[in-house]
Amino acid sequence: MGVDFQNVLEGLMVSIRPINLLWVLLGGLLGTVVGMLPGLGPATAVAVLIPITFGMDPTSALILMAAIYYGAMYGGSRSSILLNTPGDGSAIAATFDGYPMTQKGQAGQALTISAISSLIGGLCAIAGFILLAKPLASFALRFGPAEYFMLMLFTLSAIVSLSKGNMVKGFISMSIGLILSTVGIDLQTGVYRFTFDIPQLSEGIDFLVVIIGIYAVGEVLFNFINIDSIIPSNNKIGKKWITKDQWKKIKWPVIRSGPLGFIVGVLPGAGGSIASMLGYTTERQLAKRPQTFGKGDPAGLAAPESANNAGSVGAFIPLLTMGVPGSGTTAVILGAVIMLGLRPGPLLFENNPDMVWTMVNSMFIGNIFLVIINILLIGVLVRILNTPPKILYPLILVLAFIGTYTLSYSMIDFYILVIFGLVGLIMKLMDFPIAPLILAVIVGSDMEQNFRKGLVAHDNPFNMLSASSVSIVLTIMTILSVLYPFFIDWIQKRKQKKV
Amino acid sequence: MTRLVFPIILIAAGLIYLLLTLQIPLSKTGNPHAPQYFPALIGTFLVIISSVYLAQEWKKRKEKLEELKGLLTGRTPYLIGSSLALILVYILLFERIGFLFSTMIFLTSMLFVVNGRYKWKQNMAVGIIFSIMSWYAFAQLLQVSLP
Repeated sequence: MGVDFQNVLEGLMVSIRPINLLWVLLGGLLGTVVGMLPGLGPATAVAVLIPITFGMDPTSALILMAAIYYGAMYGGSRSSILLNTPGDGSAIAATFDGYPMTQKGQAGQALTISAISSLIGGLCAIAGFILLAKPLASFALRFGPAEYFMLMLFTLSAIVSLSKGNMVKGFISMSIGLILSTVGIDLQTGVYRFTFDIPQLSEGIDFLVVIIGIYAVGEVLFNFINIDSIIPSNNKIGKKWITKDQWKKIKWPVIRSGPLGFIVGVLPGAGGSIASMLGYTTERQLAKRPQTFGKGDPAGLAAPESANNAGSVGAFIPLLTMGVPGSGTTAVILGAVIMLGLRPGPLLFENNPDMVWTMVNSMFIGNIFLVIINILLIGVLVRILNTPPKILYPLILVLAFIGTYTLSYSMIDFYILVIFGLVGLIMKLMDFPIAPLILAVIVGSDMEQNFRKGLVAHDNPFNMLSASSVSIVLTIMTILSVLYPFFIDWIQKRKQKKV
Repeated sequence: MTRLVFPIILIAAGLIYLLLTLQIPLSKTGNPHAPQYFPALIGTFLVIISSVYLAQEWKKRKEKLEELKGLLTGRTPYLIGSSLALILVYILLFERIGFLFSTMIFLTSMLFVVNGRYKWKQNMAVGIIFSIMSWYAFAQLLQVSLP
């Protein structure tokens, strides 16, 4: 229990090695660039860039991947502020006041506010990570199969219930993901399931192929629908540096939203979307003049950006300590971490503390690098945003194929990639949430193994629900997460009736 | 009534999955039915939840399925159809003629389709340079084995 200062310091020493600093810089830059490209967003950025970590030693690969992740989160906000097109759910709140600032000719200042707020939020979260990760990992060591099964069920139901207005579609998406995870040899008995005598399917469907197919190929095909109507941005950047008055306005919102975003990020299934929205609404409620929110108020941009970055770092805690990601993008990261041969969970902190703490320290350094990159290179980044999508999308397709081939050098993966590209396209058109499918396909196999081990230990599924106090709490949380949207609907209807 | 097609497909998929679950060979170790439990649970859940989806869509059955309209407007059918055809050719050529040449052909053709044939100089330049750069980055710098 407690903070492992020796490992934290050792991690710091490894993370400041020149080669690791280079990976942090490269990952942050690449993540920012791909994450900010219109129509792509962080999850696609991480999915497309995973292959560049192949062949690297796991520590460097983890550093690079984490840098790509938070770089992509930074990048996602760039397109929110400059184009009013958020890369993913967590960047939506940045459009509320970020884009109005751009319209007022304050794009440069908006980007600087976003970068500084993200830095402060990120640093708060890293401090929180150092304090909380080890105790949480030690706590998770007590989890048995029943607790793990319930934790995964809770995470899936939380992600589904956040697919607002689409819960049924969210559950269908989750079921498809779980079905995909059952293809291949059963790990406990060696029985072949759903392989249709295709030898390549005996090892199951690689979830990274599913991820790249849905996020990269599906996204490109979806973007073809509006490709001729995309107008390149022509925003004037204006001043880069923020004024004293702006700093005064953002100071407290940033400091308040950081810890708030971190706490939300730590909750499995919550992720950056809720963190940034909560940061925004909290500050609007606390503001002396809330009517300025939505009209280019710097505090309205700073708060969600700080909360979003803090939430993104916080999401690493359930990811690394329990193997449970908090969002679609962190699910992609989990897939990549497993691909590196690491086993996220409480034992990761026992078996690979050097690697974990090196990554955490590199995140600290990376956040500082990203502010420098984002402020100094604002002009270049804005020009990248103007890359014609008609050139960009074919390049993304090629990267998707390279990534898929390098996973297992199997041609059948190409066909699976295309099939899931089409699945992704249909899902986007029909408004089916994608995150539940991605999360389910990644945790599905572990979920099944824990379910079956739990059944052996507790005889029937109902005993599993009450196996321990942790199981009971998780069962209640699962039920509440499913009921939550209905409760919110009921409250809104009552309010409307009163009005 | 077209709104009912998707939920019916999903219910059918759930039922087929359940049937396939029953055909999973029995395990020779431990509980013989153990490999069937989890798939049976998911299959049943998919059928139930898709039935709820069907009920939701039934209420809107007289409305048109506007969601897929985007696929049939403007250049979209041409772009998606051509992309899929070119992807198929790329897959067939990938191991036969190697990564570099198949990627050059695929990328340049894709750019002609998406970016237009009038920008042929840009298409050729991007197609050739990006293919060489990606081959060099992956095969040479990252030591990834490409055909």
